[in-house]
Amino acid sequence: MTQPKRLSQEDERTLIRRLKVRDESALAELYDALAPWVLGLASRILQDDAEAEEVLGDVFVQVWRRIDQHEASRGPLVPWVLSIARNRALDALRRRRRWWRKAERWGAAQRLEDDPADDSVPGWPVHREVHAALAALPEEQRRVVLLAYFEGLTHSEIARRTGQPLGTVKTRLRIAHGKLAEALKHVKDWLR
Amino acid sequence: MTDWLGMTPNPRTPRPELRARVLARATQPEARGGRWGGGWLAAAALVALALGGAAGYWTRATIAALSAERDRLAAELAAVRDTLGFVRGPATRVAWVPVTTNGRLGGVTIFADSATRRWLVRCEGMAPSEPGETYQIWFVTAEGMKRAATMTMDERESSVMAMAFDVPSDVGLVTGAAMSIEPRGGSPEPRGPMVFHLRL
Repeated sequence: MTQPKRLSQEDERTLIRRLKVRDESALAELYDALAPWVLGLASRILQDDAEAEEVLGDVFVQVWRRIDQHEASRGPLVPWVLSIARNRALDALRRRRRWWRKAERWGAAQRLEDDPADDSVPGWPVHREVHAALAALPEEQRRVVLLAYFEGLTHSEIARRTGQPLGTVKTRLRIAHGKLAEALKHVKDWLR
Repeated sequence: MTDWLGMTPNPRTPRPELRARVLARATQPEARGGRWGGGWLAAAALVALALGGAAGYWTRATIAALSAERDRLAAELAAVRDTLGFVRGPATRVAWVPVTTNGRLGGVTIFADSATRRWLVRCEGMAPSEPGETYQIWFVTAEGMKRAATMTMDERESSVMAMAFDVPSDVGLVTGAAMSIEPRGGSPEPRGPMVFHLRL
């Protein structure tokens, strides 16, 4: 497997420092590197191009305004940005309250995910690593992880959706998160 | 490490035109009150603008209406004061003469102020002027009758008509008044039927 090309942690700190001193070119660099991933994540959650683009804009607004809230000690920049994207997208999803229709589209999108994508996008190797880590999970664990992450369902909602006891859902999530953390523990740096 | 799950979906390259829009939006100064606050501020500004416009329009319309009303009342007040001036003037003589026109009995009241040389003539209950005709008032002087004014009684108007006018400076001492029926527009000297002839 191709290893992602990464910037050093020093390079990432420099980028964050430039963002904090309101260097707009730093934001442009961040956009160029991360916008495809933010849009991909938002599109996956929302299944709506217009709303996903709206989230994309919201994310970079929030990054620009709240970069001071990013703490390097709590993790790299990319997951922080992606967590903003996920939260924004889930907020939009909850506002719409169209859970079932979205679930149907999500199911269709699952099949589309197998389509080849542009592997020239920066960060593609990490994408493959995450996929590999997910694929290594048993189906029942992967499903609860995806329901929690991409649909923002609570443990109780996942239990109702899957027809599994709440305790089972919690256990599967805990085990799955442990496996993912182990599989992806080497992915810590900013990537390009 | 679920932090990286955000990279599970395939990346999607944004439309090129989105880049400039997103970056411009991100780096523009933050509106006070935040996203929704800005929206509310904009909405409030629009409402205030609309209300201001409506208030301005209403104010202008009201001022125009009040100005017209003020002018009308001022004119009425001036007329009333003028009339009162005739009535209360120490040099004012008052004469009333009954007239019969076309079988209708009416009357003419004349207030003649010799000090200011102004007259106020009030006609009441007179028959409407025939088409092409008018009532003409004359100053009676030692040199004969001089034109004073014409008063056309209209069927559609009130049966009361009042008119104030000055005695021209070239008219000498006025000793009386007369009224005749003349062609519309008046005559230089009385030619039609005399309605009344009165000494003051």
